[in-house]
Parts: sequence; C-alpha cells; structure tokens
Amino acid sequence: MDILMDSLVSALVLVFTLDAELTAIVGVSLKVSLSSTLVAGCVGVPLGFAIAFTDFKGKPLAITVLNTLLALPTVVIGLFVYAFISRRGIFGPWDLLYTTKAIIIGQVILIIPVVTALTIAAISRIDERYRKTALTLGANGLQTAWIIFREARFGIVAAVIAAFGRVISEVGISMMLGGNIKGFTRTMTTAMALEYDKGAFTLAVALGLVLLGLSFGMNSLFHFFQGRTRV
Amino acid sequence: MTPPADTESPGYDLHDLFKVYNRRTVLAVPELSLAARRVHALLGPNGAGKTTLLNILAFLSIPTTGNLRFFGRKVSFVEKELRVLRREAVMVEQHPILFTTTVYKNLEFGLKIRKIPRSRRVALIGESLELVGMERFMDAPAHRLSGGETQRVALARALVLRPRVLLCDEPTSSVDVENQAIISNILRQINAEQRITVIFTTHDRAQAADLAHQTLLLDHGRLVPARFDNIFSSVITRDENGRAHCAIHPRITLKMASVSAETAALRNPRIFIDPRRIEPRRNPDDHPAVNQFQGRVRRALAANGAVRLVVDCGVSLTITLSRQSYREHRILVGDILHFSIPPAAIEPLNSGA
Repeated sequence: MDILMDSLVSALVLVFTLDAELTAIVGVSLKVSLSSTLVAGCVGVPLGFAIAFTDFKGKPLAITVLNTLLALPTVVIGLFVYAFISRRGIFGPWDLLYTTKAIIIGQVILIIPVVTALTIAAISRIDERYRKTALTLGANGLQTAWIIFREARFGIVAAVIAAFGRVISEVGISMMLGGNIKGFTRTMTTAMALEYDKGAFTLAVALGLVLLGLSFGMNSLFHFFQGRTRV
Repeated sequence: MTPPADTESPGYDLHDLFKVYNRRTVLAVPELSLAARRVHALLGPNGAGKTTLLNILAFLSIPTTGNLRFFGRKVSFVEKELRVLRREAVMVEQHPILFTTTVYKNLEFGLKIRKIPRSRRVALIGESLELVGMERFMDAPAHRLSGGETQRVALARALVLRPRVLLCDEPTSSVDVENQAIISNILRQINAEQRITVIFTTHDRAQAADLAHQTLLLDHGRLVPARFDNIFSSVITRDENGRAHCAIHPRITLKMASVSAETAALRNPRIFIDPRRIEPRRNPDDHPAVNQFQGRVRRALAANGAVRLVVDCGVSLTITLSRQSYREHRILVGDILHFSIPPAAIEPLNSGA
C-alpha cells in the first residue's frame, strides 16, 4: 500500500510538472491514436453510412461480420499485420515494422469495425420519415443522404470518440508492431507495461492517471453526443 | 414557381392503377380523375389504401401497374422524372417530422435545393410562416414545437415551395381542436387564393364535406364512388315471413326492402343508408313498415346547398336535409331528434365491385 501511495504522490508530481519523458510518451500515444482514429473515421463512417443507407443482398451478413470483428483481439491483429510488414512479409521492403505507422495500421484495422458498426447503429436509429420528407421536398439521393447524415451526426461523432477510446488504451498492437522504442514508438500503455516489468511504478502510475483522465474525457464526450442523439 | 394556367386539364388521371404488396392488392383504381385547383378528400377506414394512394400521387411510391397522368403529362415512374415531379407535388405526413434545426432552416431546405436566391428565400419563408401563423417561431428549434405547431410548420415547409399540388395525410388527426380549425382554414385559403390543388386523407366525414369539392371513399383499396356517409358493417337475418333485417348495432336492427341471397350469405355485408332519404319527425311515428329511431343531434353543417346533421343514435348517422326542411323542423345541435328510415333507403354495398 505504501508503494502505491508513494508512487501516486511521485506520479502526481510528474504529471503536474509536465515531466519530459511523460509528455513525450503521451505525445506519441496521442499522435498515433488520433491518426488511426482519423483514418478509421474516414473509412468507417462512409462505409457504415453506405451499409445502413442502401439495401443490398447480404446486408445482414455484412452487419454480422462487422459485429464479430468488434471482438477481434489486438494480439491477433498484431500478429496478422506483423506477417505482412516484417522483413519476410510482402510489405517488408517498406520498413514499416517498429514504426508509429505500423501501430497506426494495426489500430486502424482494430477500430474500422467499431466506427462502421456504431455508424450503422446511428443511421439505423434515424426515423424513416426524414428520408421521405427530404424526397418530397425535392431532394435527390445525395441531398437525402446529407439530411440523414446531419440527423445522425451526434451518433456518428460518438462512434468516432468510442473508437479513439479503444485505441488509446490498447496495448497488444502497439507492443507487437511498435516495439516500445523510447522516444519513437513508446505509447502510454506499452510504457506502463515496461515500467511494471522493471518494478518502477512512478511513471506507470503517472501514465495511468493521464490515461484515466483521457478516458474520462472521452467518455464524457461520448455520453454528451449520445445524449444529443436522443433529444 | 407560379403554377401555370392549368384549369382545363385534370391534375391527376389514373387508369388501371394497382399496388400489390406481398401478393396482396392494397390499391386497385380502374379510373380516377382529380381536377386541378380543387380540394379532394380521400375518406376511408384504416388500411383502406388512402396513404398508399397519396404516396403514389406524391411520387414517393411507384404503382405495381397502371398509368398516371399529371397535369396531362404521362408519368413513366423513372427516378429522374419522379424527382422533377416531386417538386410540384409536395406531401405533408400525418405525423410530420422536422429536421433538428431551426424552423427557418427547415423551410429553407427545399428552397436551397431549388436554388432560390437568399433574399427571395427570406421573403418566401416569412410569407409562408405568416400564412400558418408561425412567424414568431422562425428562429425556434423545430424539435421543441408542439404537435399542432409542428403540423403547421410542416405545412409552411411544403407551401413555401409553391407546389401545384399539396398532399396531406390526415392533416388534423393528431392535433388539438384549435389547430384543427387553423389547419382546415389554411387548406381552404391556399386553394382559394393560391389555386393550389389540395388532396387530403381523413377519417372525418364532416371535415371532408366541409373542405372538399370532391370526396372519394376508399374501402379495401378500392374506390367506392360517391357514397361516403352511413356505411355500416351489418348482420343480416330473416324473420318468419322471409323479410330481411340488418343489425348495424346491438340495439339497432333495420327492416330492409330486399336483399339478395348472395349478400345475405356474406359474413358481415356492408350496407349503405341514403342520408337524403332519412326523414326527421316531430313525434314518433307508429307506422310498422318504417324504421323508427331517435338520437341526439351532434353536428349541423352547411354543405353544397343542403344541411348535414350528424345524429348519435348508438351509431353516428348522417342525415341530409334541404335548407328549407331544416328550417321547418327548427333543429338545433343537442336536440333529441326522431327520424324514420324507409326500408328502401337501405342498400347492400358490394365493396369488392
């Protein structure tokens, strides 16, 4: 208990003094997570919108597959991407392994199903009368889609926030594809795992506090936007 | 935006129009012509096909088979063409939904699509909101309005587009009495002043008679021409003399003049009581051949040079009187009225015809 209390006090000092190592790690984490969320948002939102907005054969199957992918373990993705980007993989010559780009690729694969499935859910909740109203007011397909998108905007933002929450706290992909290289690919979660291995809790607890704070912020935003969809 | 001179041509001409869902025919209209610049009411029970027909007339739904002409132009039901036609026939739903933004932006949506310049948009929106008495709500969040206000804004959103045809699905069914009167007046006013063809569905026979130049009755997806009052589901029996009786209510059994064996064999045949042949009486008449009843007068409406009384005698019965007869009988709303129904005034209806 004393170890935890001592670590907590030291950790708070690190946080409030904006320790250089701590801020560097947080910086890498945010850069990687925001990049992967941005890419996944650019792919997942239109994909989810297209699936929800159009009727096609195999739509229920597509949604089932997406929902299954939500449970994909990070280590499986790490292994899968590793097979492609390691020296013997087909993308080996691109030297992606143990770079932040590799982490981003893995995280994008992790959260595209999250963004897509939650976008589908957000669009599906939109009343069918919006589409009919837009049509009767003279809208074409694109203008009707825009109306649906606008009405679902808070739900879609919530989907993106949920995806960010997923990647900021994942450890498997960052560790396997980033390699936890100090100053380059060391993220909050991989740093915490390393500090734990070393038995040095101060930085781990400080990073945990930052991570908790970020998660709290993300969840607050998520619930804010979820709430707006129910207005 | 201004409707062209089209008084000569009918607004809609339907020919052999059918709509089939899951192998069930929900709408079958062999012939129908709806005059331009008039008010038309589509009356009928739930599931009669009113909304299905309205959706087709609004170009939001495609008939399974059949021909439709819109202001003389044959409609081919190709999406590109439908999109153009939708700009001339705008529909307001029974429970309209407003976009989650301001009232102003709701009205602006259709105008922007039509590429109306901003200054003109502002003027048109102001006029439209004034027409429905909602100008104070221009900047209000649309989703915070009451049901009646939402209905009026939805009407304004359609009317700001200056359509040739306004289609309303039960425009007053989900609003309070005050808003019902306001909405009825708006429909009457836009037809009279802007010469917009109005087509609306309703359950309310009195509203149909009050507002519409033409009332169409739909039953099981088919048009039942002209007769829209006093149609009842009945049980037909015969007495010991073989005379037919029909029960339209547990306490109301009517003597009938004649009934075919085919109709008598039906489970619940529909019968029609001609409202023009029901006669009010000062006192009960003891003539055994005539059906005698009494009921309380609930409504009295002037319509097409006559007076329509809605009498509650266990069922809601409509009696049509000449103005002179109405004056002679000095009938007031709330009075108990004695009346007789001659057996010949009762006719079996073949709704499948």
